[in-house]
Amino acid sequence: MLGVFALFLVLPALLPWIGGYTYLGTEVMIWAIFALGYNLLLGYTGLPAFGHGAFFGMAGYFLAVSQKWWTGGLWLPLLIGVLGTALCGAFVALFVARRRGIYFSLLTIAFGVMFWFLVFVLDTWTGGEDGLTGLLRPAIAVPGLGAVALRDNLPFYYFVYGFFVLSTVLLWRIVHSPFGQVIGAIKQSETRARAVGYDTTLYKGAVFTLSCAFAGLAGGLYSLARFGAFAEPMSLQQSGNVVLMCLIGGGFASFYGPILGVAVFLALRDFFSTVTDHWMLLYGLLFMAIILFLPEGILGLVQRVRRPADFHDTGTAEAARAAETTAHRSKP
Amino acid sequence: MPDIAELTTHLLNGVVLGLLYAIIALGFMLILGTMEVINFSHGVLFALGGYLALALQPHVGWWAALVLAPLGVGAVGLVLELGVRRTYGRDPLFGLLFTFGAALALEEIIRIVWGPRGYTISVPDFVSGPFHLGFLFYSKYRVLVAVLAVLLLALVWWFLEKTPYGAVVKAGAHDGEMVRALGINLTRMRSLVFALGTAMAGLAGVIAAPMWSLKPTIGAEAVMPAFIVVVIGGIGSFGGAVLGGLMLGLASGLSNLIVPRGSILVMYVLMTVVLLLRPRGLMGQKSMLEL
Repeated sequence: MLGVFALFLVLPALLPWIGGYTYLGTEVMIWAIFALGYNLLLGYTGLPAFGHGAFFGMAGYFLAVSQKWWTGGLWLPLLIGVLGTALCGAFVALFVARRRGIYFSLLTIAFGVMFWFLVFVLDTWTGGEDGLTGLLRPAIAVPGLGAVALRDNLPFYYFVYGFFVLSTVLLWRIVHSPFGQVIGAIKQSETRARAVGYDTTLYKGAVFTLSCAFAGLAGGLYSLARFGAFAEPMSLQQSGNVVLMCLIGGGFASFYGPILGVAVFLALRDFFSTVTDHWMLLYGLLFMAIILFLPEGILGLVQRVRRPADFHDTGTAEAARAAETTAHRSKP
Repeated sequence: MPDIAELTTHLLNGVVLGLLYAIIALGFMLILGTMEVINFSHGVLFALGGYLALALQPHVGWWAALVLAPLGVGAVGLVLELGVRRTYGRDPLFGLLFTFGAALALEEIIRIVWGPRGYTISVPDFVSGPFHLGFLFYSKYRVLVAVLAVLLLALVWWFLEKTPYGAVVKAGAHDGEMVRALGINLTRMRSLVFALGTAMAGLAGVIAAPMWSLKPTIGAEAVMPAFIVVVIGGIGSFGGAVLGGLMLGLASGLSNLIVPRGSILVMYVLMTVVLLLRPRGLMGQKSMLEL
């Protein structure tokens, strides 16, 4: 973990060397917060949500509306963004927490698209197609440094970096807490977890709301990064992106999978859009190829190569053990 | 207060729309129920049906295009299934993401071939113009759409309920392993169901194209109602899909009359209400999909 933090600490100095720019680093950290929070649902609880972009995007609107017309400032709108998004997440959780598998996906898609349309219906508040522009990044007071203007890219990078470190540590704690153990149990078998006495609906609702809160934090930062809230992060395509980010990196295999996935994904996106106008075609094909050939992600592949038949992979391990036993028996 | 002619027009529009939604949703549900795959590319295949008909109509005429374009879409579905096949029995997300990628790629292919602009499609000559029903005029083409849709729904119902193939499909949705154990080629059956479901999307695209102008993003607009219909009607129920489609069509037709801007949102309000009252949808039964 410290390695990851150290890497991102010095990244702004390294990025120009590898053809990047500071904003890309900021974007990677923002999406990483989003993807890590989402992986709480996908990787750790095994709930295939597919409308999470809506929560990412709506936070921007909460933040923008409160900064423009209500509270002003920076910290309070950001907090309102997180809390508002978590509240909407809790509302959706009421409907989806009893579900699992494919039905869960279907419902999260439908609700995600509902919020997306809501943006266009409420266009007096959200600005509809044009979005809400003109967000401010006021200076914040940092002990020892005085007031730091966030308008520039580099100070903002470290502003986001703070949240990135905080979120990562927090999520790590959640995953390795008793709560994390319970959601892991739900992933393995919800029926069994319920039989042991856990109110699985409550836990699933809580995980959903939590992951929405992280989506809210990331979405709020994203709107600050772009000086405005727009509808496009709420589209189904962005919801698909975050799932793919988790998968490419190996969200099923490792806590850090999503971070790697985000970096690879955003780098590929930039690369594709420089190569051809029809990058959507390449991008769709990439989706298909990853599902067919690399469903466990990069870190999953690394793990498989390094440690064949890992103990997580009970199927293969059992097969190996069975083969061993038979070989044992048939010896003489 | 809107007058009676306007009200009737909106009601009829709602029914026609509802029948179209039912066809789209039924194809979607066949794939969902049999393979447990959320086919995200359903919408773009709907669009592809419209575009193929656009390309074919000048050469072979309207009726032939009505048959050939869905067959073409079904063929694309067959190819797609070769990839989707590898996700069966795994996390539902894989099938979803695979078809999601396919949808993006196909949409871009449509954009490359036909360009990003929209096309308005003229209706065939023999149904151009309106009927005159005393107090109102109603488009002949929409009546034809309704008739075709009812015919197709009847055909699918007959196929599922009255033929041995339909029995195999339904059994395969319930317990694929057992069907395979009975000596039925499950792999081929699944390919055919996938082709059938996508062909239905294509057909809906062909007949909807003259009513909605054709543009590359139309797929996304068509697939969402299918989702909602399935949620409202309940997974795995033919009657539920038809009922859900009609409800959705009528709701958006009537809300067009009252609050034109909110007509899409009305669908979601309807979905939320139904889910609150009947979490499995109106005619849904407890199914394997919930596990």
